[in-house]
Amino acid sequence: MTVGAIASLVAGIVIGFFGQRSRMCFIAGIRDWILVRDTELLKGLAAFLLVGWVLFPVAGLLGGDADGTFADPVTVTVLLSVVGGLGVGVFSVRVEGCPFRQHVLGAQGSGNAMMYLAGFLSGAVVFHTLVAPLLSRVLI
Amino acid sequence: MATGEPPIVSAPQLSARRRRGIRVTGLQAGVVMAVVAVAAGTFFEVGPPEAYGICMACHGRDLVNSVLNSLFSTDLVVAPAALVFPLLTTVGVLIGAFAAAVTSGEFRFRTPRRPAKSFVYGALVMNFGLLAAGCSTRLALRTSAGDVLGAIGFVAMAVGVVVATIWMRRRATR
Repeated sequence: MTVGAIASLVAGIVIGFFGQRSRMCFIAGIRDWILVRDTELLKGLAAFLLVGWVLFPVAGLLGGDADGTFADPVTVTVLLSVVGGLGVGVFSVRVEGCPFRQHVLGAQGSGNAMMYLAGFLSGAVVFHTLVAPLLSRVLI
Repeated sequence: MATGEPPIVSAPQLSARRRRGIRVTGLQAGVVMAVVAVAAGTFFEVGPPEAYGICMACHGRDLVNSVLNSLFSTDLVVAPAALVFPLLTTVGVLIGAFAAAVTSGEFRFRTPRRPAKSFVYGALVMNFGLLAAGCSTRLALRTSAGDVLGAIGFVAMAVGVVVATIWMRRRATR
């Protein structure tokens, strides 16, 4: 499991470096295309989806841990995915960047992004102490 | 012979003309991120769950919760991949982006103009992200791995982006 920790640190450094040089953002691609028909970041999103779709089976063939078994959608999980997805989309546009982009902006000195990250990490604790218990009581 | 001739451009002009830092297109960044995400998840034990290679929300949650669990012996949720040692993706991104910003001369501290708004939006995005089990990056990753729920979340996110962008443009042009 420590392999995972080291690998995730290295992976983070690599994508952080490339993300800073390219201004990559997973929501700004769609936003820029609607606003000014700029496809620079949309191409990045499309490439991410396409390369992932090709590489997951390849990694499985090469002996990687990619069995591709996912939970079957049921009403509750579909509902949560839709609400969660919509929320991520709307509020990421409002704050001008997806979580990945906010990490990059914070690291290059944006005070707004640093405040965002503080809220982001506090939000995790709020979710697991308040929101998730409440939802599981209401929905299940 | 050109040896005695003065240089055509002076050194400061040359460095000003040359772009500092390497330039990466969005397309290249997308490819690199996908390769890293798939490799981390399938070969380097970043998981279970499946398609967990990159997630800014879940990995941040894992880090915060495992630190809190070990400090205050609480029992907050962490993903199986982070049970023994927390995932450091978010820390890595900060280090990598900081290195890229410093080497290209783009690092500049700017005091927050809307600290409270940014804080609240950060907390909101994290909560909605954990509801859908992934930030925008992992929703895309799950979609490409063939997860139906991930694809539903990704489409919902795209719809949210479109709606919010059109709404924002309406408000700006009114």
